[in-house]
Amino acid sequence: MVNFLQLLVLGLLAGGVYVGVGVGFGLVWGVLNIVNLAHGALVMVGGYLTWTLFTRLGLDPFLSLPLDALLLFTIGYLLQRGVINRVIRAPLLFTFLLTFGVNLVVINLLLLLFKSDFRSVTPSYAGAGLELGVLVIPFTRLGALVVALLLAAGLAFVLNRTRTGLAIQAVGADRDAAQLVGIDLRHTYALTFALGAACAGVAGGLITLIQAITPTAGEPYTLQAFVVVILGGLGRVTATVAGGLLFGLIEVFGQSIPGSGSVYANAIAFGLLVLVLILRPQGLMGRLR
Amino acid sequence: MAAAQLELRQVTKRFGGVAALDGVSFSVPPGQIFGIIGPNGAGKTTLLNCISGVYRLDGGDVLWQGASIAGRAPHRVAALGIGRTFQVVKPFASMTVRENAAVGALFGSAEAHLPPRQAFERADEVLELVGLAGKAALPVTALTIPDRKRLEVARAVATRPRLLLLDEVMAGLNPVEVDEALEMVRAVHATGVTIVLIEHVMRVIVGVCDRALVLHYGRVLAEGEPRTVLKDRRVIEAYLGERYARQQGG
Amino acid sequence: MLRAAFTTKPTEGGRRWRRLFLLLGGVVLLYGLLAPLTSLDALQSAGFPLLADKLWFRIATATAMFVVLASAWNLVGGLTGYAAFGNVAFFGIGAYTCGMLISRAHWPLFLALPLAPLASAAFAALVGVPLLRLRGHYFAVASLGVGVAVGEVIQNVEYRGTPVFGGSTGLFLPIFSVDNRDLVFYFLMVGAAALTIGVTWLVLRSRFGYGLIAIRENEEAAAVMGVNTTAYKVAAFALAAALTGLAGGIFAQWNVFINQENVFPIEYNVQMILMALVGGAGTLFGPLAGAVFLYMLIQFLSGSLPVSLDLPFLPSDARPVLAQVILGLLLLVTVIFVPRGVIDFFGGQSRLSLAYLRRSLRETSV
Repeated sequence: MVNFLQLLVLGLLAGGVYVGVGVGFGLVWGVLNIVNLAHGALVMVGGYLTWTLFTRLGLDPFLSLPLDALLLFTIGYLLQRGVINRVIRAPLLFTFLLTFGVNLVVINLLLLLFKSDFRSVTPSYAGAGLELGVLVIPFTRLGALVVALLLAAGLAFVLNRTRTGLAIQAVGADRDAAQLVGIDLRHTYALTFALGAACAGVAGGLITLIQAITPTAGEPYTLQAFVVVILGGLGRVTATVAGGLLFGLIEVFGQSIPGSGSVYANAIAFGLLVLVLILRPQGLMGRLR
Repeated sequence: MAAAQLELRQVTKRFGGVAALDGVSFSVPPGQIFGIIGPNGAGKTTLLNCISGVYRLDGGDVLWQGASIAGRAPHRVAALGIGRTFQVVKPFASMTVRENAAVGALFGSAEAHLPPRQAFERADEVLELVGLAGKAALPVTALTIPDRKRLEVARAVATRPRLLLLDEVMAGLNPVEVDEALEMVRAVHATGVTIVLIEHVMRVIVGVCDRALVLHYGRVLAEGEPRTVLKDRRVIEAYLGERYARQQGG
Repeated sequence: MLRAAFTTKPTEGGRRWRRLFLLLGGVVLLYGLLAPLTSLDALQSAGFPLLADKLWFRIATATAMFVVLASAWNLVGGLTGYAAFGNVAFFGIGAYTCGMLISRAHWPLFLALPLAPLASAAFAALVGVPLLRLRGHYFAVASLGVGVAVGEVIQNVEYRGTPVFGGSTGLFLPIFSVDNRDLVFYFLMVGAAALTIGVTWLVLRSRFGYGLIAIRENEEAAAVMGVNTTAYKVAAFALAAALTGLAGGIFAQWNVFINQENVFPIEYNVQMILMALVGGAGTLFGPLAGAVFLYMLIQFLSGSLPVSLDLPFLPSDARPVLAQVILGLLLLVTVIFVPRGVIDFFGGQSRLSLAYLRRSLRETSV
């Protein structure tokens, strides 16, 4: 029973990162109809900024998160405006390949800048945790979960309560109609991608608290973000939050099965993906598009 | 009366909670031209999708020469000899006009399934029939809308159907083009094909159909000889009144 | 879908290009096939700046391998229009089938080799049935997942504590002892490439091929025309898998050592697609041209060719990384400006011009 509780807590904590990675990915996919294969690479850009600020200036990783968001927002805006907007109406294979090209460029630029060594961020409280009876909840993971949930809430607020957010939703619902009511398509697309990238940046900052990073460490997160979004259902932030937490739980419980270990992380993610796609293509909470 | 070639019994199809088709029944004897009319959203295209296997039925049955074909995959329905066109044309865009028609002859009903060489010969015959012979070598993207509709018919005829379902092949055409299209339908019918025709244009129904059926909100409102049906008081009241009067006047 | 992005008529200039291209292609092909027979001795002593023997064989064999991968992908991605991102799984399964049969069961190569494509095709048919029901992004990512997952499973699967497929150490095959080993593998791989092109040629002329293209252009219309779409898609998937698996099987014995990293590399997935796309997806020779061009470019950029460009300010260990950056940029430029591949220019469909680039940009951007 204690074991079960521990796994439950660990699963939810692990889910925090998936929520962070998933919301930005889901936004870009839902609105722009782009499966952004560079998402994991953008996550790592955020991670490296946090790492650089921590090792050079001693800045607390949680405090560097807004800077991660800002940097990635800028990169995301320019990327969409300058590059991805050029193929947005092409068949999906093209946007797919394009974002893979971006992925390749970003990862290898990171390799040139930071080498392939493992980098970790270890603030003074890294080893400390909240003790609840026999359960120990590491502060960093708890913080990551809280930040991820705040991030999702913030994104939901922007999308549902601000002019820009409504414009983004309008574009997602019907591109032509949105244009007819006077929405600047190029700008709105770029803003959407920028928001998605900013979320990725924050997620990257959070990931440095949980694991050592390398330039390629973001790649698994792309596939996982895809699964998280499908699991929850495309098109709603709350659905992605549910998907992310659930994915964390499935991962933790899956790894606790004796013998399987953590080596099958991708196989589990993929198996789950196909299962959900076939049994419930609209996701747990989603509407069929 | 001859035995029915196609028969629908209480066909029902729902989307969410809305019944797009609600207990539709009718039968078409071989050799007829059978017209189906109704306003937008009446369920006409849904009906064709139910016959051709694109949709699964939520109730009722579709019979082909007395045997149920409900739930069969579209390619198996095509293999029986039921061809169809799409209201919104769906050409194979990267192919030439001739190749498009040839695909119909390569696959289609069990009697078609020609090897490539004969399929292209068949495609040429069919393009002649619908009046596209001169444009066989063009890419489909170079065709006008009326020509694309002809190609849609050509492709379906190339499958050697015994029953052809035509979905608004004359919508959006001008009067001259409608006359040409009517001639095309008669020419196809003359090759011995039963035709079910969905139309908006009254002149077409009265002009070529042996029988007509009025669909309204997924239900059969009236069925019979076209002129009688169109004079039916319920039909005029429910749907045709204003529109038909205008057409009679103009 | 790919070819139909926009339509252009053949131009006079285009036809001239095409003739030139065919001539050039013929010469290169002839040279490629005959050069190994001469061992290049005469040319080398004459002082031509040619590659050392071993290197030439390695590069030529690997090029042929990528011709197989790109052309096989073309059957699914180019003709059927399903963006398969996990074909490397078939390569790996082929390699491991051959590897296991030769190293563990001690089968001779030519008995084991035919089983590699069979195993890959069987696997493709099995996963293809659920996978090919998915469309668009869903199919693309699910197939990507297959590529990743299969490699992971093969590396990690254990039976009573010992790894079944060699685990993370991989598999070592006994060296295939025969005179002119390089030559044998070179011709095996070229044979596989020729087979793949031949199969594509047959498919393009058959009912099967027209069915696949009809599915690509409009799946619903294809079904109503009488195309058994599920069966056709799975068949195309399995056919591509068989050819890819054959290349994998040859690779296993050629390379002598296989592990997860060298037979399930994710970057192959994208490289084969890029090759097909650069050359011209959906065409017969596009993937061939793309594979030759791109493989040479990648090797050149990463400094594996004797002829190379020296960048003064760059440390030599950064070269492969920089090669990847350039490859990524090339991917961007291709996707944005030359969506239908360079084969168009040589195939007499259109001419490479500023107007062409502008138009392809306008076609797809907001």
